[in-house]
Amino acid sequence: MTVLDVAGLTKTYGDSVRANDDISLTVEAGEVFGLLGPNGAGKTTLVSQILGLLRPDSGRILIDGVDVVRRPDVARERCSYQPQAAAPVDGLSPREAIELVGRIRGCDRAEVRRRATALLDALDLTGVADRVAPMSGGMARLTGFCMAAVVPGRVVVLDEPTNDVDPLRRRAMWTQVRRLADEGAAVLLVTHNVLEAERCVDRLAIVAAGRVVAQGPPAALKAQLGAPLRLECTVEPGVPAPRPPASVTVTGTVGRRLLAHVQQQDLATAVEWAQDAQAQGAVTEFAVTPASLEDVYATWVASEGQPA
Amino acid sequence: MTGAAARSFVLLLRWQLLRTRKLLVMLITLQTALGIGIIYGFGFLVPHVTPAVALFFTTGAPTLSMMLIGLTVVAQETAQARVTGRFAYVSALPVPRVAPMLAEVTYWLLVQLPGWFVTLLLAVVHFHIHLQVSLLLIPSVLLVSLTAAAVGYGVAVSAPPAATTQLTQFLSIALLLFSPINFPLERLPEWLQDVHRALPITYMADLVRGGLTGNYGASMPLAFGVVTAYCVAGLALATRAARHRG
Repeated sequence: MTVLDVAGLTKTYGDSVRANDDISLTVEAGEVFGLLGPNGAGKTTLVSQILGLLRPDSGRILIDGVDVVRRPDVARERCSYQPQAAAPVDGLSPREAIELVGRIRGCDRAEVRRRATALLDALDLTGVADRVAPMSGGMARLTGFCMAAVVPGRVVVLDEPTNDVDPLRRRAMWTQVRRLADEGAAVLLVTHNVLEAERCVDRLAIVAAGRVVAQGPPAALKAQLGAPLRLECTVEPGVPAPRPPASVTVTGTVGRRLLAHVQQQDLATAVEWAQDAQAQGAVTEFAVTPASLEDVYATWVASEGQPA
Repeated sequence: MTGAAARSFVLLLRWQLLRTRKLLVMLITLQTALGIGIIYGFGFLVPHVTPAVALFFTTGAPTLSMMLIGLTVVAQETAQARVTGRFAYVSALPVPRVAPMLAEVTYWLLVQLPGWFVTLLLAVVHFHIHLQVSLLLIPSVLLVSLTAAAVGYGVAVSAPPAATTQLTQFLSIALLLFSPINFPLERLPEWLQDVHRALPITYMADLVRGGLTGNYGASMPLAFGVVTAYCVAGLALATRAARHRG
């Protein structure tokens, strides 16, 4: 069942900066939908329009069939939100901040208390839950997540939820994100942490320069790359490497790392070439791994709409 | 106000009280000290204080205080909230558009109350003036506070945050020196008197003074009528500004 339906959304700042350009996407109930893109791609502008904080120039946003461009009050009611900046928790304990938002979102005191306690426990925050002290960036981020999750909307918008969060609590947070979707919410996850998103999202859209350049389940997007394997070599500066065979498609270099795509049937040829290069001192080490969402992301963003 | 709206207002007020709880004692102490300072400091400013002048000054102080809170403190707190992201966060919550402003102004009224009480008590003892407090003081205080806060909030939501600080400082000086709150309207040049007959400031001072002394100046219904009209217009404009989506 489609909960969030965005179609043809365009937003321009001033006369020239087109932050969103004809964006269309849908998010279903029970789904975690990733919105991936580099800084300045237009992700936060899109979120602000969904939340009713900005008015689009053109296009449609429906939540459960209700036009929230006309009815921003419905957007506020049906969306819960973790902002990219830290949530306003200054002067409050984590539990107070979570319970206040839960009650503002309409839940009664006892139920909010129960849910806040469960969330604090799940994210290993019980020990600091009642401490009124300036929070670290990670603690404020975790509290902000709980504020969005304690009484979730039909749409839960999480904008860079794991920034500054330690690895163990990050893992716990992803479990909670999944739980929100499993309980029926449509989760819109905005991030540029591609590796983490890969583990959590059901579908995703890659946004670059205000446009959706690719959209679909991670597996389908990876299949579009045309190569299931990635060859990564660390090259030795100043030592020329032997020319790679035609079956090894070099996609780019990052510092001393050379990245290439390889078909399954060409694996032996690719490894043989890498071993030769290693024997000649041109490559210090290499690895072959399954192509990841990061490869998809890098390919689409670098080409801004044209897959390599 | 519906039940849900009233509930969200109470919760936002609770949020405000909780987040500033460590400053509350200091804020209330400062407001009280300010009141004491006004009563004793006034003697240095005007060496021969007659009971009539003292009464005018004493009953003008709460009006001035409410207006400064609305036009400067509410405005600057709102501008600050826009900078830190708190304003956008609260705007994304299911609360009425003016609920954050109402919570802010109510909070500052509560902070000011002990100071007003001490100031008026001291004035009675120090200047030997007689006050006749009526229940009409309550709607008067609410109208004056809301009107000033609506204007301050409207400015803060519409103007860039840095401009808000400059604008509100200008308004503070205009209120202190050129508004007939602590002195009679007749003391101003005629053209400024005409300006003030169209503005709500004189009527605001009359309302609070009337609630404290029983003397409403020219006309109590006129004062209530003018201030109510400005209050409704101010709230409508503040709501419209808060609803504006860029």
